[in-house]
Amino acid sequence: MLLFCEWLQKNPWIVAIDSSVVISLILEILHYSGFFLLVGSTAIVDLRVMGVAARYRTPTEVAHQLFPWMWTGLGMVLFSGFFMFAGDAVDFYLADCFHTKIKIVLLAIVFGVLVSWIVPRLDRVPVVPLWFKIVAFLVALLSLGLWIGSIYASLEVPAQCGVG
Amino acid sequence: MLNSFMAIAKWLQNTWWALYISGSTWAYPFVQLTHFTGLSLWVGTNLSLDLRLLGIGSKRQTASQLSAALFAWNWIGLCIAVLGGFMLFSSAATKYVPNPAFEIKLGILVPVAVLWHVLVQWHARKWEKGHRVSAFGKTIGLVEILLWFSVIIAAVSIPNYDAH
Repeated sequence: MLLFCEWLQKNPWIVAIDSSVVISLILEILHYSGFFLLVGSTAIVDLRVMGVAARYRTPTEVAHQLFPWMWTGLGMVLFSGFFMFAGDAVDFYLADCFHTKIKIVLLAIVFGVLVSWIVPRLDRVPVVPLWFKIVAFLVALLSLGLWIGSIYASLEVPAQCGVG
Repeated sequence: MLNSFMAIAKWLQNTWWALYISGSTWAYPFVQLTHFTGLSLWVGTNLSLDLRLLGIGSKRQTASQLSAALFAWNWIGLCIAVLGGFMLFSSAATKYVPNPAFEIKLGILVPVAVLWHVLVQWHARKWEKGHRVSAFGKTIGLVEILLWFSVIIAAVSIPNYDAH
């Protein structure tokens, strides 16, 4: 993996992208915008599942409108994040807090998928069993917590490890 | 004018909360987390509404229905972002006040973008024709997206003008 990171960092395309101020700025803007879109839309769906947002709309209605933006935001974050990582791939690879960040983000994505599986099931039957409502609430709460955790981890990577 | 701002900044930086944030190992990252969580809610929900005005993505809900569904958490997001931002600013106010990127961000772009968003929320219904939005409404939505991109550009440029 370290060899791959060394190769990636020295790749002429990556070197060119990393040394361009304009492209670096565009990538950073794409990363922040994607992250806001991803976390903002996910948080609203999670809060709806928890019963504290947009209560006069069904969870499916809210999710239908916002989930496409969650996945679009994720795509923007992954695309820009890859190029931001590639420029300092070795340093990122050796930084423990970056590993922690990636683990939290992956876990948050898994919980995002779980919420998207749960949402249509909340509206499918007229009376949702209490145990399912509790499970849905807990999954949404964990999803929200993990995304907030991923913001914290993202802020801590440059502060604690000096990369990024 | 700058002298009066600097005097206020010096006073702010010496308040008990500012000294606590700058002197504590956990408070600064916590305040940063608060600011970014609020921003994710605020910018994420704004972009979702603007993209709906532009007619991109799911059209199941009209722009005014989506605006009403997101309203409460949209403004809660702004309140959290402002609270976190004020705390961050307090902890290093004298460093931020003379920073041109910060001046442009907070003095021009953020107030204009927030007022523009109020306009979008108040008038979204007027620009709708069933599930379609007029060309004027689309333009208003596009301008808001560009305004928030400008805010992000100014924000990521702040460290480039940092004197320290």
